[in-house]
Amino acid sequence: MYRYDEFDHAFVEARVNQFSDQVARRLSGEISEDAFKPLRLMNGVYLQLHAYMLRVAIPYGTLNSRQMRKLAHIARTYDRGYGHFTTRQNIQYNWPALSDMPAILKELAEVEMHAIQTSGNCIRNVTADHFAGAAADEIADPRPYAEILRQWSSVHPEFSFLPRKFKIAVTGSERDRAAIQVHDIGLQLKKNDQGELGFAVWIGGGQGRTPILAKKIRDFLPEADLLSYTTAIMRVYNLHGRRDNKYKARIKILVHETGVEQLSAEIEAEWAHLKDGELKLPGADIAAINAYFAPPALAPRAEGWGELAAWKKSDPGFAEWVGRNVAPHRHPDYAMVTISLKPIGGIPGDASADQMDAVARLAEEFAHDEIRVTHEQNLVLPHVALADLEPLYRALLTDGLATANAGLITDIIACPGLDYCALANARSIPVAQEISNRFGDPKRQAEIGDLKIKISGCINACGHHHVGHIGILGVEKKGAELYQISLGGSGDEHASIGQITGRGFEPGELTDAIETIVDTYLANRTGAAETFIECYRRIGAGPFKAALYNSESEAA
Amino acid sequence: MTVIWTQNGIVENDPWVSDVTGADAPKLLPLAEALEHSQDNAPFGVVLQPADDARALAPILESVAIVALTFPAFSDGRGFSQAMLLRQRLGYTGELRAVGTVLLDQVPLMLRTGFDSFEVHHAPTIERLVEKRLPGIDLHYQPAADKTDAGTGYSWRRTAILNG
Repeated sequence: MYRYDEFDHAFVEARVNQFSDQVARRLSGEISEDAFKPLRLMNGVYLQLHAYMLRVAIPYGTLNSRQMRKLAHIARTYDRGYGHFTTRQNIQYNWPALSDMPAILKELAEVEMHAIQTSGNCIRNVTADHFAGAAADEIADPRPYAEILRQWSSVHPEFSFLPRKFKIAVTGSERDRAAIQVHDIGLQLKKNDQGELGFAVWIGGGQGRTPILAKKIRDFLPEADLLSYTTAIMRVYNLHGRRDNKYKARIKILVHETGVEQLSAEIEAEWAHLKDGELKLPGADIAAINAYFAPPALAPRAEGWGELAAWKKSDPGFAEWVGRNVAPHRHPDYAMVTISLKPIGGIPGDASADQMDAVARLAEEFAHDEIRVTHEQNLVLPHVALADLEPLYRALLTDGLATANAGLITDIIACPGLDYCALANARSIPVAQEISNRFGDPKRQAEIGDLKIKISGCINACGHHHVGHIGILGVEKKGAELYQISLGGSGDEHASIGQITGRGFEPGELTDAIETIVDTYLANRTGAAETFIECYRRIGAGPFKAALYNSESEAA
Repeated sequence: MTVIWTQNGIVENDPWVSDVTGADAPKLLPLAEALEHSQDNAPFGVVLQPADDARALAPILESVAIVALTFPAFSDGRGFSQAMLLRQRLGYTGELRAVGTVLLDQVPLMLRTGFDSFEVHHAPTIERLVEKRLPGIDLHYQPAADKTDAGTGYSWRRTAILNG
């Protein structure tokens, strides 16, 4: 993974000092809260319902054990012993004191971490496929390009006061695990006919109040043009994006109102002036960044094949975990392991300091010191020998980290909701917990199969409800919480926005409604091989709406 | 209080300061007027609003004494891109002034995008600027319009050229 050089270290140190100075000026009253707000946000500091919240960047979700231990240490020392992994592959601390922020940032800097641009109307943490560098289906590792973008966008003088936040995601395979079609810029690595690397470029995707899928504006952008082309997009957006209404300020609205052809022509015209300038990426620099992400030397471990088969036979729990949480690695003797942060009835994405330490230790012992954070709020060990799966599983079991539910109905994404967030209208966490408990039986989950439930506590859609197979949106109606359900959303290469079923449900009715939806699926599917989303796309919303609402109209 | 600040310090008796009035005070003209008056001999300056297309100045830039870009609120960052277009696209080398809401923490970013003078009203900001205690970072991850040295490592990095 990327290692800081002197330049990076000096930069982050200067940034910590800069922020300490800003905090001091705020405390002395030299700057108003209004003027301070964008400054603290650009350092990841939010003022939430009960306390300040600090969001720490985990660029493209990649961590080593030393960094994970530091996150555990911060949770223990400055927070209440836990942290919350987010849908942007970051971690949030919900209870730090403002006065501790400079100290926390200093500690992070020691392990090459920071909180730069995890919030604010600037270019946010660049995300990537959590299986990058390990997946069998990958064309190229997206992380070097995410790292180049991270560097280039850090404290960008032209693009730090954009109309609204700006999110970029990069995926390295056709199979989109980075949800690029719901990002402001989505980049898909591909090769052209000459075998050269480049990107398909998508712009204008996003969730929030107005969910829109991205439009492809370029089928192939050579890798050398990554920064010049991104600059052209950013400049057109910065100059022309709406600033009169924060709900219409994302680039998706600009694309929608201008028309993708015209906007793309403006971007191309701007780019014509930039493409041969100083932002053109030299091949040597791309190669140098790529070298940091060279895969670890994976020794042959063919003995794992036989052992794995024997272990699975003797332990059904292990077999179930392998079936759900272990995915094929490009090296046949290895696998990618998902560590679920969704224990039955737990808080999605939360990890205790002890669990973080445990993951750090296991990454060192079994996984070449690499950890990933997924946008689905789980952790991944991307390089584990098949021969090490059983001892890894045993160790995860003792720390409550072996829940075998990756991709199942209890692998729920949820935003922090009204329990923490100042923007929320409704709670998300208890909703997730109740659904998780209702469907927690392993047999039942397995029977239901792949099903993504995503929950947001307000229209800002941090819980990605628009792209949930089942999406749940908490709203406030007459002072009470109400939950709207949408169906048929998807954030992968076949992206779609979910459709609202009808009237919302009160907290006490919601889990029953989810059960009705699941039962309708089970009754209508052609067989266990037809997943929920496939079934929904075949039969449409009708049978689900009928099941949800008809009984009441009959009663009335 | 309104002062004009540049990296050389406070500018006394600046003719373009926006709250100076008087018959013979030169004027900062809005874009449309500036395009009309470009044939006049009297020196004139231009003040752009954020929605103005900075590229429209191309035909008259040679006769313009100063360009001022307006920041109606600190959150409106269009002026940063206008400045980049003026400096890099149009090759404008004259005075480029930020007017409106100019925050101390934005001044280093404005310097990077090519501004070289600032109309400032906020007393604590003026104090810091006079003391030359700018809250910027001298290492940059991207080229911009300012004069910088190549940074270490990669082609996109730059370092500030420090005075003295």
